[in-house]
Amino acid sequence: MTLFEFAQTLYDSEFGTSLRESELAFPIIEGLHLIGLALSVGLIFFVDLRLLGRFLPEVSVDRILQPLRPWLFAGFAVTLATGVLLFIATAVKVVVLPVFFYKLGFIVLAGLNAAWFEYRWGRRIDTWSDSAVLPGGIKAAGWASLTLWSLVVITGRLIPYLSYQ
Amino acid sequence: MSALDTFKALQSSEFGRFIGGQDHLFCAGLELAHIVGMILLLASIALVSLRLFGVGLRQQSVLALSKATSGFIRTGLALLAGSGLLIFIPAATSYYPNDFFWYKAILLAAALAVHLTAYRWITHSENPSPWAARATGSLSLGLWLSVAFAGRFIGFFS
Repeated sequence: MTLFEFAQTLYDSEFGTSLRESELAFPIIEGLHLIGLALSVGLIFFVDLRLLGRFLPEVSVDRILQPLRPWLFAGFAVTLATGVLLFIATAVKVVVLPVFFYKLGFIVLAGLNAAWFEYRWGRRIDTWSDSAVLPGGIKAAGWASLTLWSLVVITGRLIPYLSYQ
Repeated sequence: MSALDTFKALQSSEFGRFIGGQDHLFCAGLELAHIVGMILLLASIALVSLRLFGVGLRQQSVLALSKATSGFIRTGLALLAGSGLLIFIPAATSYYPNDFFWYKAILLAAALAVHLTAYRWITHSENPSPWAARATGSLSLGLWLSVAFAGRFIGFFS
């Protein structure tokens, strides 16, 4: 089965069709996707800005990252779940757009950056998180996260812009 | 002058026609500025509201958090207002019959009113009662999320 056939199957399914044609469900899912994004990406931005020394620089990174982690993940869960639903409802229109695959690519890169950060720095956060000037690698991870999530938002906004009209 | 007359005058003004004549890329830029502003505003409000509930960054004081986020809130509001007006003006009359446009306007007025009164007061109080803190946090976050929701709905019910 090709990707397009898979998209067609989802799109034509009873679930996909009813989502797409529902006057209320589709806008509500879109709204939740947007709010989930504002919270997850927004809270990530604050962590990134702390890594760059632009937000609460006098507070250790540890004390910002740890308490926000569950809220970040909750925001991402909402964004991911609603994103899957939106994909099912609009699959055939979306898989023909290069910008959709750019968005997926940027999400993967942002995820890899976060995983690398956790592996390289997160495990021994107590050895560096109190220092006022953070190691260069940490700043690089902060910049990468800011840039990649911004690209995810930009390419994501272009999807309905290029397909629904 | 009625609201509809004002909307017509805005849309047909030289400025309205100039903005309306810009290309698709310009519109996409405005939409993006609106989203970036929304991320800055909602994430800041969420951070402070969670703290008012006693969760999230609870090791920081409410005052310290509200001070650290106030610049982001101002930038966010400026981006939202600027891009919002530029999206609205060239198509003003098409928003007039849209119920959700008016819901958004009312919710926005309420959110701003709460932000300038209860939110400002609670984030500057030395020892606010937990009850007042929670009430303000849920009111502020609830209203701003409703503004975003109503805004998203405008495009679906034209």
